[in-house]
Amino acid sequence: MSEPLVSIQNLNVKYQHKLVIRDLNWDIFPGESWLLTGSSGTGKSSLAKVIAGLQSYSGNVTFSFNTKSALPARVFYVESWYQFKNIEGVANFYYQQRYTSLQAKDTLSVGAELRNFGKEHQLEFTAAEKLLIELQFVTFMNSSLLELSSGEHKKLQLIKALWLKPQLLIIDQPYTGLDVLSRVKLDHLLNDISAEGVQLIIIANDTELPSCINRFARIREGQLERLPSAKLDPVSMERPGRKLPDFLKEAPVYPSDEIVRMINVNISYGEKQVLKNINWEVRAGEKWLLQGHNGSGKSTLLSLINGDHPQSYANDFYLFGNKRGSGESIWDIKQHIGIISPEFHWYFDSSSTVWQSIASGFFDSVGLFKQLPFSKSTKVDELINFFGLTDDKNDLLSTLPLGKQRLVLLARTIIKNPELLILDEPCQGLDLHQTQYFNKLVDELSSNGMTLIYVGHFESDLPACLEKRIILENGEVKKVETIAESCLI
Amino acid sequence: MANYFNTLPLREQLNQLGVCEFMDSSEFSDGVNALKGKKIVIVGCGAQGLNQGLNLRDSGLDVSYALRKEAIEGKRDSWKNATGNNFTVGTYEELLPTADLVINLTPDKQHTAVVNAVMPLMKQGATLSYSHGFNIVEEGMQIRKDLTVIMVAPKSPGSEVRSEYVRGFGVPTLIAVHPENDPQGKGLAEAKAYCVGTGGHKAGVLRSSFVAEVKSDLMGEQTILCGLLQTGSILSFDKMVEKGIDAGYASKLVQYGVEVITEALKHGGVSGMMDRLSNVAKIKAFDVSEELKEIMRPLFQKHQDDIMSGEFSRIMMEDWANGDKNLLAWRAETGETAFEKTPAGDVKIGEQEYFDNYLLMVAFVRAGVELAFETMVEAGIKPESAYYESLHETPLIANTIARKKLFEMNRVISDTAEYGCYLFDQACKPLLADFMKKVDTDLVGKNFNEGKDGSVDNTQLVTINEILRNHPVEIVGTKLRKAMTAMKAIKTV
Ligand SMILES: NC(=O)c1ccc[n+]([C@@H]2O[C@H](COP(=O)([O-])OP(=O)(O)OC[C@H]3O[C@@H](n4cnc5c(N)ncnc54)[C@H](OP(=O)(O)O)[C@@H]3O)[C@@H](O)[C@H]2O)c1
Repeated sequence: MSEPLVSIQNLNVKYQHKLVIRDLNWDIFPGESWLLTGSSGTGKSSLAKVIAGLQSYSGNVTFSFNTKSALPARVFYVESWYQFKNIEGVANFYYQQRYTSLQAKDTLSVGAELRNFGKEHQLEFTAAEKLLIELQFVTFMNSSLLELSSGEHKKLQLIKALWLKPQLLIIDQPYTGLDVLSRVKLDHLLNDISAEGVQLIIIANDTELPSCINRFARIREGQLERLPSAKLDPVSMERPGRKLPDFLKEAPVYPSDEIVRMINVNISYGEKQVLKNINWEVRAGEKWLLQGHNGSGKSTLLSLINGDHPQSYANDFYLFGNKRGSGESIWDIKQHIGIISPEFHWYFDSSSTVWQSIASGFFDSVGLFKQLPFSKSTKVDELINFFGLTDDKNDLLSTLPLGKQRLVLLARTIIKNPELLILDEPCQGLDLHQTQYFNKLVDELSSNGMTLIYVGHFESDLPACLEKRIILENGEVKKVETIAESCLI
Repeated sequence: MANYFNTLPLREQLNQLGVCEFMDSSEFSDGVNALKGKKIVIVGCGAQGLNQGLNLRDSGLDVSYALRKEAIEGKRDSWKNATGNNFTVGTYEELLPTADLVINLTPDKQHTAVVNAVMPLMKQGATLSYSHGFNIVEEGMQIRKDLTVIMVAPKSPGSEVRSEYVRGFGVPTLIAVHPENDPQGKGLAEAKAYCVGTGGHKAGVLRSSFVAEVKSDLMGEQTILCGLLQTGSILSFDKMVEKGIDAGYASKLVQYGVEVITEALKHGGVSGMMDRLSNVAKIKAFDVSEELKEIMRPLFQKHQDDIMSGEFSRIMMEDWANGDKNLLAWRAETGETAFEKTPAGDVKIGEQEYFDNYLLMVAFVRAGVELAFETMVEAGIKPESAYYESLHETPLIANTIARKKLFEMNRVISDTAEYGCYLFDQACKPLLADFMKKVDTDLVGKNFNEGKDGSVDNTQLVTINEILRNHPVEIVGTKLRKAMTAMKAIKTV
């Protein structure tokens, strides 16, 4: 048998002072491509970072790259969370910034970013062009990094990786944020590079994978456990134990039956029109599913509802019965809404503790600037307990694994029992258990009469309570329909 | 036009310099009501203009932009920024006659021309606002007697004004009413409402006067904020290179060092910053900064004197009239310094290392903050005003250096600050020449603690700690930081 490409012996890795990988051994032989799975916080990403040389460890990790191969003799790691920087090297953004029209561009354009990458790794640009077309990314070449949604950022990172074709490519959560079509395309492209000799490690909790994946493992209790296939044990659909806090069972009081009413809403940046003649009505208590491919305008639409879009003021629409721009402040709007989106998480100030992050939901602020009265602080404690976060409550958000951070932000969105809950891909980054747990919770929560707008690409990720669906395509409403049991994708 | 301050009798000069009241949050309980339904027109859509406008509109107010014809016709950035965010944009003639509040957010240098063009178009009894009082105080601009003149001056760059607002907070702000122009007595109520509209009321508001704002703002920006940070950075870099420290390392230490060091200043004042050093290093930094204070005090005093007498504005305005000859030459010179031209090296520098290996900057910052504060207070400026214009703003400016060195700092700050900064830098470097000859790499470039056993004399340390903590800038700072962020204190661990 030939030498393993990567050989790992007695590996020990710490994450925030906790040993997550314990005496792990793993050989990755030529021709093997792996799926690495396991629940959130088990150390999958830490292991990947060790192989990519980005994380300290104890033990042995040795590589023997194929010297005869034309592919770069290196490991390339695509993080699940990509932190980009502005031109001056700082990553200090706020999430509303991408909707603001600003001439002085703060971040590089996608084109410039790719050209820099190509230069750094001595790659032919023509090869990238093919990928840009395949993944429908050509139109973004002149967009600045700041304008991209999380799904679009993911695509950009994937394009870099597919372009580079390193001998070992590790992709952490390749599918999060991708729409159905892009996902299919990606699988094809991964199979192609695999055929050219690239070996893959994919970290995911999915069962549908590119066919080139031929080895399966999960991390459990710090060890690598080989699996016969990507199938995981069936998870129980019961939401475990704890009772929903009483304050979340109270029915919301609506100032008006009309939550959202949009009349021919248009949004454009210069020549580029991102929303075209949108007409949409959401009534109190309705449960909506909002769908559309990456870049179809979903997040822009939601930013209008949450008072985050500067172009709201020139459009004709109503929120909670009031015409937008009739003298209300954005804080008047936000007080009715609990919102979460990947972008919101991305730009959230993670230097606060878990407790503070959740408490800030009462004020719709990022960071806690006020003392909480007792009645409110007990609610925070109750919710923390309900989410099983009591042990983490004084930890800084930034020290938690992404899945847990997401749970914290979800708790933040519901802490004030809002009239309207906007959940934009809320389960991105959660594992299968967490996703199902969360969606059960959404069903339970919204049974009090709360209005819901939910964005999700995949059937398996959706709560059962959804009853109506709006689909966007290229900034237009393609379809509005009632969801019958069978009509989900 | 005569310098307004110089036309005042001494008693009135002192009176206006001394306006300074840290406002209680209960004073803002009326929210934006005083401006609700009124037509607000902002002149200029640059860094402050756009971001203040976005905030005011998001607070439920009616905002539009009046731009000069050339900007509209040429579809300049200011026009694109305003229209791109769906603001109504029009010429002065179109928008000003119906405006209740006109906010002048053009560069200070243009104020005389702008206000002369704007004023005749404004309706009877309207309000004119500034974010910096230079035009009123130093140029002595006379405003029509029926108009109310107010100032709302956020103590932060425009981008910060916006980012703090959307996260639910704000930036500390100075507000004032010009005593010569408050015919209806509505100035303060409108200034407060405007301040609520930008979010400033959440982060601490100082009621000030045009005079106090200008005299303290000029002093702060040219001495500690920009001047000394520039001089200190350049001298530190050159010293390290002279002593054979790797230029990439030196560049990185200087570029990011000020930010890391002043972050400690922001949270814990001068003593908090000094506490980041070991005991031996602290004693050394104390001694060095005492020496620096002695050397630089006359220069700080000269700057304050020239600001008070109007001499500074006079020579700067001369340079304006002269096509910015000096300013442009100094700007070019700064661009050519070795520090500016050496990119930060690809080396890792730990957070503590920035203190241990850059003791000289800690000493510079202490000396500069205390000197600026002391000099301002001696000149009749109240401690609260002096605090905002010295210690409070230092980390904000340091952040611009971390982003892109001195070039970025000088680009972001106002033209008056840039001019004053160069003026200070030109005078300060020769003044420090002898001092710098004695400086070695233990103060800048290498860890001061290296090779020392760390033992200190107890009484000496106790005395130094007492001196540091009892300095008036610390006493007022402790009070303001608490009031400003009974809030933010929760945030930091
Ligand atoms: N920057 C800060 O950190 C800061 C902080 C507090 C207060 N302030 C104060 O805020 C004010 C504005 O400063 P800024 O930094 O925002 O300025 P800026 O970014 O340079 O913006 C100036 C704006 O004024 C317009 N303008 C320039 N010359 C003009 C003229 N002759 N007539 C009409 N419009 C003109 C420009 O647009 P066009 O050239 O396209 O016409 C531009 O939109 C100043 O008083 C400053 O002291 C600034």
